[in-house]
Amino acid sequence: MSRLSAVRPAYWISGVLLAVAVVVPLLVSTYAKDEPRLWGFPFFYWYQLMWVFISAILVSICYQLVSREERRRRAAQGLKNPDLHGADEEADR
Amino acid sequence: MNNVDWVQLIIVIVIFGAVTVMGFMAARWRSAGHMESLDEWGLGGRGFGTFITWFLLGGDLYTAYTFVAVPAAMFATGAISGFFAVPYTIVVYPIIFIFMSRLWSVSHRNGYVTPADFVGGRYGSKALSLAVAVTGILATMPYIALQLVGMQAVFETMGLGGNNTLAKDLPLLIAFAVLAAYTYSSGLRAPAMIAFVKDGLIYLVIGVAIIYLPHELGGWHSIFGAAEDKLTATNPATGKPVGVFIPGESGFSAYWTLALGSAMALFMYPHSVTAVLSTKNRNIVRRNAAILPAYSLLLGLLALLGFMAIKANVNVKGLDGLANPQLAIPRLFDQEFPSWFAGIAFAAIAVGALVPAAIMSIAAANLFTRNIYRDFIKPAATPAQEAKVSKLASLLVKLGALVFVLAMDKTIALNLQLLGGIWILQTFPAIVIGLFTKWFHRWALLTGWAVAMVFGTVEAYNVVNPATKKHFGGSLANIPFTDKQAYIALTAFVLNLVIVVVLTIILRALKVPEGNDTTHPTDYLADRGDPGVKDLPELLDEGGASPAKS
Repeated sequence: MSRLSAVRPAYWISGVLLAVAVVVPLLVSTYAKDEPRLWGFPFFYWYQLMWVFISAILVSICYQLVSREERRRRAAQGLKNPDLHGADEEADR
Repeated sequence: MNNVDWVQLIIVIVIFGAVTVMGFMAARWRSAGHMESLDEWGLGGRGFGTFITWFLLGGDLYTAYTFVAVPAAMFATGAISGFFAVPYTIVVYPIIFIFMSRLWSVSHRNGYVTPADFVGGRYGSKALSLAVAVTGILATMPYIALQLVGMQAVFETMGLGGNNTLAKDLPLLIAFAVLAAYTYSSGLRAPAMIAFVKDGLIYLVIGVAIIYLPHELGGWHSIFGAAEDKLTATNPATGKPVGVFIPGESGFSAYWTLALGSAMALFMYPHSVTAVLSTKNRNIVRRNAAILPAYSLLLGLLALLGFMAIKANVNVKGLDGLANPQLAIPRLFDQEFPSWFAGIAFAAIAVGALVPAAIMSIAAANLFTRNIYRDFIKPAATPAQEAKVSKLASLLVKLGALVFVLAMDKTIALNLQLLGGIWILQTFPAIVIGLFTKWFHRWALLTGWAVAMVFGTVEAYNVVNPATKKHFGGSLANIPFTDKQAYIALTAFVLNLVIVVVLTIILRALKVPEGNDTTHPTDYLADRGDPGVKDLPELLDEGGASPAKS
């Protein structure tokens, strides 16, 4: 059971972060307005462009969490780490 | 051919020529040997790393058509039909982060080349797999045609075209012959290599445009001002505003359903899956989900070029004398940039059409080969035969797209592409939900798919353009029994899902036999180097592109 409980936080937190990254940019009513403007951009436009960055950061965090967890799981099962496996080839590709 | 801009034309020809050479050389790039299997030709040997995948997926998803159509929509009708592309390409990455690695793993352990292969293996139903394959092919064909429409807009702006048909269509025919030839000889490696050039050019052009043009046009304040004036003015034909500058409350549901529906549909397209399956290990697609948003930013900035075209007051009258918003961006470049730089921009769009067109035709061809030819016509096909059939099919697919663009009205391609988006989303339950559970019954999935396809098509047909009174006037319709507008694809998807759930409960209660699932739960977590996950040489040695299980 210890493996299962170790798995949970990474997946659980990632799930929440990904849900935020999907749901918040779709809440149109929260950003369909003109003011405040930024460099002449209405709020509607700059806010959505800003979410490109926020979403990229959230997904990166999830990537770190999930891939660390998967490495741990794979190590526990005695499987190879494919990232190390192909690391040197990766460099020249 | 009158008023040809020779500087532009020469630059486009030079860049195009360079790209052609690359396309043919790509056959030998990082090749493990023979091109005589579908893994080699159709998936580039399944060996692409993070960096190449970033370019390949970027080149694949953000097509020339996107680059012309999104700002064109902004130019013509504003935020709802144009800027939704930004939330769309934001939410797509968290969504694919969740399921794409599982598709990678199960495909690599079972030798699947297409999403329909997976569906066939998971549900043990050739009918369902055929439905997914046919939907994929139907949705992809008009998409390829639209790449050519994007290219045509560029050629037209450069002054190519004229009174006789041959001169008008010749550039497109040449571009097309070149594309067909190197896809045939190099397979997926060709677009992967060309994607570098395409994206390099596009980043350069947009970077310059976004800094230089606002400066030329009097700053962002006046650009947004001009857009607001145009879009909020009343259209005399309909008595309603011309477009939407910032959506009002009635536009909210349209905006977010367009974004969500398109995001869910994007990775159902066979060409997206092809690019993902060509990666080297399970995590590359996840890593890419974190870095691909760079393209979304690019797309957002590009959308704003549509507003710049409003401010610059570009003339979008086509050679046929009718207004064509698709010309907004090429004309903006032509008008505001020096000739040589406009030439580079046009080359970027033209080359940008080649990359996705190549990948799409490969993906459609793979579907045909695996899920129609092998499943129904010749089950004992060898990998060499599969590759050969696929190569020919990719030629046919492209030829079909070309005939489409040249012989038929552009609006037919546009209508079909609109329908394609609606159709392709209906394969989501079978593919994505199937990656997590096999609870859904195969006949329920097939019925849900069929009903939603018909419903979506009828709904789209019933949308009448208020100005032209033509059918297929857009992708938005009221949700049945409400007055809220939504993206038809998403409404149909909800209907699809409800039918699948209800029928599954009934079919399970009646104990109707489910199909034989040939996948194993551990398949969905497998990674490169694990037992059973095949690298290319093993597949070839074994003499079967589809290992034991199928």
